[in-house]
Formats: sequence, C-alpha cells, structure tokens
Amino acid sequence: MSAPLIIGSVAYSPNVVPIWEGMRDYFAETSTPIDFMLFSNYASLVDSLITGTIDLAWNTNLAWVRTVAQTDGACRALASRDTDLVFQTVFVARAGSGFTGLESLRGRRLALGSRDSAQAAILPVHFLREAGIGETDVDLTRINSDVGKHGDTGRSELDALRAVLEDRADAAAIGINTWQAIGRGELLPGAFESFWISPEYSHCTFTAMPSLTIDRSDEWVANLFAMDWENLEHQRILEMEGLRAWVSPKLDGYASLIAAVREQKVSDRW
Amino acid sequence: MVTASPPVGAGLLLDLVENVSRVATGRTASVDFGTCDREAALELISAWCLSSGNEIVSMVGSAITVLHGRSPDPLAGLDPGQLPGSRVWVYTNFDCNLACDYCCVRSSPKAERRAIGMDRVRQIAHEAADADVKELILTGGEPFLLNDLDELVNACTNKLPTTLLTNGMLFHGRRRERLRRMDRSQLVLQISLDSATSEIHDSHRGSGSWARAVAGIQIAHDEGFRVKVAATLPADQMHELAPFHAFLDTLGILRDDQVIRALAHRGVAESGIELTVDSLIPEVTITADGVYWHPVAADHDDQFVTENIFPLADAIAEVTRRFIAHRRSANAISEWFPCA
Ligand code: SF4
Repeated sequence: MSAPLIIGSVAYSPNVVPIWEGMRDYFAETSTPIDFMLFSNYASLVDSLITGTIDLAWNTNLAWVRTVAQTDGACRALASRDTDLVFQTVFVARAGSGFTGLESLRGRRLALGSRDSAQAAILPVHFLREAGIGETDVDLTRINSDVGKHGDTGRSELDALRAVLEDRADAAAIGINTWQAIGRGELLPGAFESFWISPEYSHCTFTAMPSLTIDRSDEWVANLFAMDWENLEHQRILEMEGLRAWVSPKLDGYASLIAAVREQKVSDRW
Repeated sequence: MVTASPPVGAGLLLDLVENVSRVATGRTASVDFGTCDREAALELISAWCLSSGNEIVSMVGSAITVLHGRSPDPLAGLDPGQLPGSRVWVYTNFDCNLACDYCCVRSSPKAERRAIGMDRVRQIAHEAADADVKELILTGGEPFLLNDLDELVNACTNKLPTTLLTNGMLFHGRRRERLRRMDRSQLVLQISLDSATSEIHDSHRGSGSWARAVAGIQIAHDEGFRVKVAATLPADQMHELAPFHAFLDTLGILRDDQVIRALAHRGVAESGIELTVDSLIPEVTITADGVYWHPVAADHDDQFVTENIFPLADAIAEVTRRFIAHRRSANAISEWFPCA
C-alpha cells in the first residue's frame, strides 16, 4: 500500500479534528489512505503545499486564487463541496431600513468582515465596484475579527451584523452560509432583511501541486466522490463539513475573485 | 407597577450562532436571554434549533443550553429486550408468607395485600398484546396467596408468554390445584433460591425456607413446568457462584434459567447496590397504585411514574419519554465531567 496522502487544512472550527479524523478513517478503507495536518492560517497552509510538506490543501477560494498566483497556475483544483459551487454574498440591513439595492449604499455605512474574507470583504467591494460604486462612495467599516482564516469562522460576519444592530453600520455584507445560519431573516422578522444577493461563485477546493501524479489524485478523488450521504457514517462527516456530496470544482466560479484580488491588490501572502 | 420584559433581540440570535459554532458537534453551548421575555426567547431558540439541526437540552434561569447537532437516538445501542415496554411487570399483590430481610417491596405476612385484581390484569394483558409488549411478568408479594391466581395467570398466558415469580413454598392443596390449571406452554415459573445449601438462604428468608423452595422446584418440574431459579446475592458473594450453579444443575435447571442478581438497597434491605431512576434502565411495572419505573422500586415514591395504568400504551410512552430525557441529560452531564 502506498504512503498516505497528507492533507492540510486550517483549524477554523472545533469540528475540524472530528471531520478529519472521520475522513482519515474513511480513507483508511480505500486505496488512497490519508493523514492530515492542521494549520492556524491559510498563508502557512499554502506555503506547506508549495514546499511539498503536504500533498493536498483544503483551500478557501482566496487560498486557491493565491496558490494559482504563487505557482503560475501549475496547481490543480481537484474537488469541492456541492455547496462550494453556489456560494453567494448577501447584503443585509435592518428590516424596514429602505435599502433597495447596492445603489442605496451610497453615502451609507457598510460593515465588512475580515479583510481576508472573500465573501464578506473582498468580493463585496468587487460587487460594489461592478455596480459603479467606489470605496470612497461608501463608508466602509472593516471588522477584522478572525484574520488568517479567510472568514471561515463566520465570526467577523456576526460582528458585522452586531454593528448593524448597534447602529455602528447601516448594512453588512456576509456569506450566504452566515445568512442561512441566522435563519435568512425569517426567524426574527423585523430584525434583518437582505437587499442584494450576489451571483453565485466558487468557494473551497482541494488543491494539489504537479508533484502529485494525475493517476494518484484521480484515484483519491474517485474515493472522495464515493462518500455517500445515505451512509450514516459518511453523513456524519459530510454534515459537519457542510455538504451533501463532493463534486468537481467549477473553475469559472473563481473569475470574480481573481478580478477582485487584482483590482484590490490583495496580498499574495494571505 | 408592571414592568414589561424587553423584546427578544437579534443579538441573542447572533450570540447563539456564534456560541454554538465555537463548540464541536456533540458539545453544548449556552446563551443568556437576560431579562428578555422568556417565552419569546424560547420560541426563537427553538425555531433556530429546528432550522439549523441543533437541539435545546436545558433551560436554567435565563440560560438556555443548546447541543451542537442532534443528539444520537438515546435508545440506540439498547438490546431490543431493554426497550421500555418490551416486557411489563405486574405486582399481583404485596403480602407474602415470608418476610425476607432484603425484600425490595417490604412484603411480609403483615403487609397490606394491595391486589391488582382480575379486571385490571385482564385489561393489562389485552392492551399489552396490542402495545407490542413481548412478555408479562407477574410478581408480588407471594402470588400464590391469591385465590384467583390461576385465573389471573391464564388471562395473561392467553395473550402473551408469561413468567410468574414465586418463592415456591405454597404448591400444596388447592394452590397446587391452581398451579395445575396454568398453561405450561406459555408460563415459566421463577422460584427464588439463594444458595446451594440452606444456611445463607434461610438466614435471609427464614428457617426451613430453603428446603421448601427446593421441594417446590421439584413439584413444579413434576407438574411439567419450566422453572427458572433466581438468586439474590450481596455483591461480595457474586464471585463464588460455581458451587451454586453445580447444585442447580443437579436440580435440572438449565444454565440459561439460572438467574443471579445483586442485592439492591431497597425496601427493607439494609445494604445493596443503589438503584436510581438515573442508573436503571426502566422496566415498566404496574401495581395496584399505578405505574413504576422498575420492579425493584415498586414501593418507592422516587420511582413512581403515574397513577394512570390505562391506556397502557400511554404509560409505556411516558416511561420511554422520561428514559430519553434522563439519557439526554446524563449525556449532557457527562460532558461537564469528561474525565469521570
Ligand atoms: S423477597 Fe419475595 S418471598 Fe421474600 S418477602 Fe419479599 S416478596 Fe416475599
């Protein structure tokens, strides 16, 4: 049997250990066993992928884009969650505050999440720019609660929503996952409402370097795709990681973030 | 002066989402709704739990504790025979010809009879069969003190396999006639015998009782009944069982029918293992006074469940509901003492 593939992941939640132990146990029964290494931030994860310390990185969309930039496109995206292909950013305000679209944000206060969060900081600015609204047209409040984790913890987005509640901001930009986590405004009608939802874009993806042969990565991906929601042991892991099925990545879903990173001159090292 | 509670705010929701996300699935997190309206807070958190796949586990004061994720089925892992209601115990009466020093329900010749009576036994048997109960177990007191025991037993065996617990000492005269009228194909007799020789048994159950119990086993066999023997032993004697099993072999008791149970600290017993609702898997038990958690505590208020025996399915459901609640809170408690 071949040596286990080493997969790197950022420890963004207390569930990361049970998720990866579950994944390791699952892959132990396949032709492509794995082990895992946890990192405290995506910069270190990407560095370790490029230097060969790990074989695969479980990257956010920003980490994928940075890996592409740092490897001149030599890296490969192997697989994503079904939920990663339909990620969106949601602009939210207090219910009844009269926002009708991005245009209503001119001259108003917008709370953004961590500066390294694609969904809650980088892409919102990009979507505003696409709508003809520059950074100086809106009063931006950046809430850098969990820098290094690319917004994975969701904490900065909750803090952005708190800023709206406490009247430190008029609106907030958050990921669709956080919007869903607070019940999409339906649990407490009268608290929050969304006034603009972005086009879908791609989020996380397993990333490999060319040193991992295509045969080996194909075999690993086939085993990954064989995880089955109907299997309760698989379901336990999939549910914690927030997906129902592993799928092939959608590379054109990263175009908006690639453009945003270029426009905003986002650092290579995040 | 009436002070209105402030309305529940979205801040509570944000705290809830954040606190739960900070703990791993299977762990709990709490939020405090402070002086906000209690009902509204509970409603909001319940709705959030429902939509997000989490679960409220407790509410103490203004703190609500939520489990991250859904708790596993609390009944999973139990043997089907351990599911509440898979068998139902019925105390036919509480009086007894003996006054054993460890009797868990304080039976004796002086104990009040508190008979369950024919009508209720018939209804229990009827409803038990419909409620997917697999077996009825009749106990006392000493059931053979009852003049209508044969009818009671037949009402049960007409519906379900039945076990009748007895001290085996009264199989004479009209009582033996009643024994003869019972259905051998559906009834097992379980006779109490604590030791291979008379000393230990008689020291707890009364002089001469061992010899009469052994004779009773013989009579039951002669009458064609399958006999189980149940011994009640202090925990410190549980390791010296080989001679006892060898003796029961000579009486023709199958090994599977040799039941050894530890003495419980209940009733008139001065020592024994402590059995509480938290530590006991329930065995639905019916007495003339109502439904109890377990036969070992059928005379103790701490394990009283309800005075409503009927509908029996509801009584079983209530025991099951409490059992699930106990197991959930036990899981929550164990989380607070992870090294224990
Ligand atoms: S243990 Fe059984 S035989 Fe002894 S007093 Fe109690 S009911 Fe009667």
